[in-house]
Amino acid sequence: MRWRERVYRALLRCYPAEFRDEYAREMLQTFHDGWRAEPARRLWIDLLADVFLTAPKEHLNVLLQDLRYTVRMMWKAPAFTAAVVLTVALGIGANTAIFSFVYAVMLRPLPFAEPQRLMQVNEKNDKLNLPNFSASVLNYLSWSEQTQTFDRLGAVSFASFNLSGQGEPEQFTGNRISPSLMPLLGIQPVVGRAFLDGEDKPGSAPVAMVSEGLWRRRFGADLSLVGRNVTLNGVDCTVVGIAPAPLALLTGGEIWMPLTIDPGREMRLNHVISVFGRLKPGITPRQAQAEMDTIATRVGQQYPEVKDWGIRLLTMTDAFVSPQLRTGLLVLLGAVGCVLLIACANIANLLLARASARQREIAIRTAMGASRPRLLRQLLVESLTLSLVGGVVGMIGAVWAVRGINAVLPPNLLPIPDVSVDAVVLLFAFGITVLTGALFGIAPAWQAAKEDLNAMLKQAARSTGSSRPRLRNVLAAAELALATVLLVAAGLLVQTLFELQRVKLGFRPADLLTFQLSLPSGKYAGAKGPAFYQELLESLRTVPGIRAAGVSSGIPFGAGNYTTTPVTTVGKSVVPPDTAIPTDWRIVSPGFFRAMEVPLLRGRDFTDGDTRTAPPVMIVSQATAQKFWGSDDPIGRVIKQLGPDGLSWTVVGVVGDVRSTALVRESPAMYLPLASRVWPVMDIVVRVDRGPESVLPSIRQRVHQLDPELPMATVRTMDQWVSNTAAQPRLNAILLAVFAGVALLIAAVGTYGVLAYTVSQRTREIGLRLALGAPRRRVLRLVIREGMTMGVVGIAAGLVTAVAVSQVLSSLVFGVPVRDPATFVAVAVVLTLVSLAACAVPALRASRVDPMVSLREE
Amino acid sequence: MATSRSLPLAIFHILVSLADQERHGYAIMQDVHARTDGQLRLGPGTLYGSIKRLLHDGLIEELDERPDPENDDVRRRYYRITPRGRKAAIEEASRLAKLLRQARASGLAPKTV
Repeated sequence: MRWRERVYRALLRCYPAEFRDEYAREMLQTFHDGWRAEPARRLWIDLLADVFLTAPKEHLNVLLQDLRYTVRMMWKAPAFTAAVVLTVALGIGANTAIFSFVYAVMLRPLPFAEPQRLMQVNEKNDKLNLPNFSASVLNYLSWSEQTQTFDRLGAVSFASFNLSGQGEPEQFTGNRISPSLMPLLGIQPVVGRAFLDGEDKPGSAPVAMVSEGLWRRRFGADLSLVGRNVTLNGVDCTVVGIAPAPLALLTGGEIWMPLTIDPGREMRLNHVISVFGRLKPGITPRQAQAEMDTIATRVGQQYPEVKDWGIRLLTMTDAFVSPQLRTGLLVLLGAVGCVLLIACANIANLLLARASARQREIAIRTAMGASRPRLLRQLLVESLTLSLVGGVVGMIGAVWAVRGINAVLPPNLLPIPDVSVDAVVLLFAFGITVLTGALFGIAPAWQAAKEDLNAMLKQAARSTGSSRPRLRNVLAAAELALATVLLVAAGLLVQTLFELQRVKLGFRPADLLTFQLSLPSGKYAGAKGPAFYQELLESLRTVPGIRAAGVSSGIPFGAGNYTTTPVTTVGKSVVPPDTAIPTDWRIVSPGFFRAMEVPLLRGRDFTDGDTRTAPPVMIVSQATAQKFWGSDDPIGRVIKQLGPDGLSWTVVGVVGDVRSTALVRESPAMYLPLASRVWPVMDIVVRVDRGPESVLPSIRQRVHQLDPELPMATVRTMDQWVSNTAAQPRLNAILLAVFAGVALLIAAVGTYGVLAYTVSQRTREIGLRLALGAPRRRVLRLVIREGMTMGVVGIAAGLVTAVAVSQVLSSLVFGVPVRDPATFVAVAVVLTLVSLAACAVPALRASRVDPMVSLREE
Repeated sequence: MATSRSLPLAIFHILVSLADQERHGYAIMQDVHARTDGQLRLGPGTLYGSIKRLLHDGLIEELDERPDPENDDVRRRYYRITPRGRKAAIEEASRLAKLLRQARASGLAPKTV
């Protein structure tokens, strides 16, 4: 009998405490009585059903009661409710918005089959300080033959396709891919088929795939496109399939053709492809890296020209997300986390202040029999309701914010295009909302639960705080500390932004119009390419309003071709013999530097006479000249490619340095004459008198005159390119500055609140002091000193934390040291002033207290 | 809590059980069990959950605790129906009676019991 009762007693624990207090004894008695009358098994089944049906109902009743009470309380204190809801909404909104970017870019699984088994296989060269480099076709073939850890490898190269024959000719970015790529990624064409093995052999019939977007946009989603011929770069190709979106996500193109490999025509040092691989099941990236290291060594022994080249495996996330973007996102996430913590501290303070005001109410409820757990629950229901209302407002705000940020972000800033507040993000938001409510509710609840009933009743009559101010001071100091960290970070990034605007680009970006042309290789073989561009430039230079024009394989910050190649010099040099320096190289036409307004410092510009039959010549940038020859005159020196068959050039000119890939990085460059070589896609720059748009129609007309089949692509002003490049640092700085501003505001309000409250609690004491003849000045000093102690402790703690974490910012900050003393001092001064102001108002009020009034009040 | 809406079954049974005399919880349970020929047994949770609601709505009232006449060493809480509870039960009974008449008229129930 005893054990049955014990079991039932345990079951009764499912009911809320109040219900148990009221009825448990009776229920137990009923159970006891019922047992005698019924067969045991039947009884247990009935009992279990009874408990599990009625206990949740009782809990719901209690919860509804608490909720009703909460809503009444919220309604009765609208200013308090609005303050808390808005603070939570700000914190949750900012966190949700930033998290949706973090999730989309770094956490959401990529749309490939088992993406964790996919790796990018890059080359690296420690001697040349190239940690991540494209692969060469011949190395790719060697790896494919030898690897045991990869199921298979696939390769991608960049290409550009002119689509002509139907309507306006148009130029598209595309790729050549090995037939193994799509099965490797585990993706299927939307319609039709992928490339077959063998279609990459030289001489096989030309086939192509187009992206789903292009198929819908340009071909009206016509299913009969598959199997039909289209003209790409002047060649008729059969469209075999419509590629799915993930292929475009990985390769960045809209049209794909097979990567044709003719080993006889490849050079092992020519790094032109990206290689991807799928690990065999159960193989870890570490095992694969070990195997690839062995393979690289073996290939190096066999082909000495690549003996310094190793292999570096990257996970797909690392391949997609640059370390800088990752740091930027994490810093922003940290910043909004700080804002939320500050918000929590502030609300906890507000609740503590209100809890003091409600002491009497709570004491009375306790005296009337509300149990302690019941009171705790009531307080937690209150804080959770407040945070949920705020959270919902914040989530709605976040949906808007994400839309807004998406709209102002330049395309291609993020590797993953579709960022939205989706179910996972909302789940996260809900989670942190509940956590927030619990966090800011716990301090007041704990405080209330700890209070002694008698003391409370006694105290309520006199309304003076006891241990409470200490907890509130700690919270306010913590707020100030977090705000300090945020302000330091924001200060550094805002300065970075100004520094970036002050960077000397090395050319004048205003009044420059740029576009791209891609000459089909069949039609423009050999010298026909350079001749076309020469003719085009001559034609453009006669257009009224155009001052200068030039052609390059890659303009700064543009979409052109950026190629780095290790080169060395012959003869006297400041670098040790046979040391190669990776150097950017570009093809430029005569007049390109004049159009860009890049100064020619020494020697001469290219001329039409620098053809492929003339002696090979080169122009170098000042930084390149300095690297190889120090302050010596570089004219007449020779630069040489690596390897026994490496080409060499004589330097004929030196031009100013140009920032070309990133604002923050100097890029030593060398320039080759257009007449000797043409890249498949070339950038054309045109310097105009004013308003680049006004001359665009004439430019179109001139291009059309020369070749009606040739589309003009990527028409932009140079200013647009530059501002795109500055977009991410700008976004970082603006967002962090906004968050820091919000944090500062909340922290200031919080500090003020704590002090004002402390002063109001001490009105009686201050009145007494004044009545006893203390000078007002001394009372003022007393209050300010107390407040500032808390402020200084908080700020100092913040500065120490900022020093500790500032290293995280090093990849985002430019032009200022991450521990810039000026920034730290400025932030300390600003925050000290803010807390002084927050102290001054309550202090002044305290010193003006009329002793009689304050004493009578009590 | 009053008129037109129907009462939950357990609540109505408790009111019926208390209509003729004061009872304690277990007695209500036994009474309901007996009157339904063992068809309905109110579990303790259902019973006291309903009692709580009836008390809250003022349909029954609690009397002082007193010993169970059958078992001296147990003190029991006794409950009594209030005038308001009686009114609610009568309304419910007539609502059910009306429903039964309608069911008879449409041939769903036998004319006499």
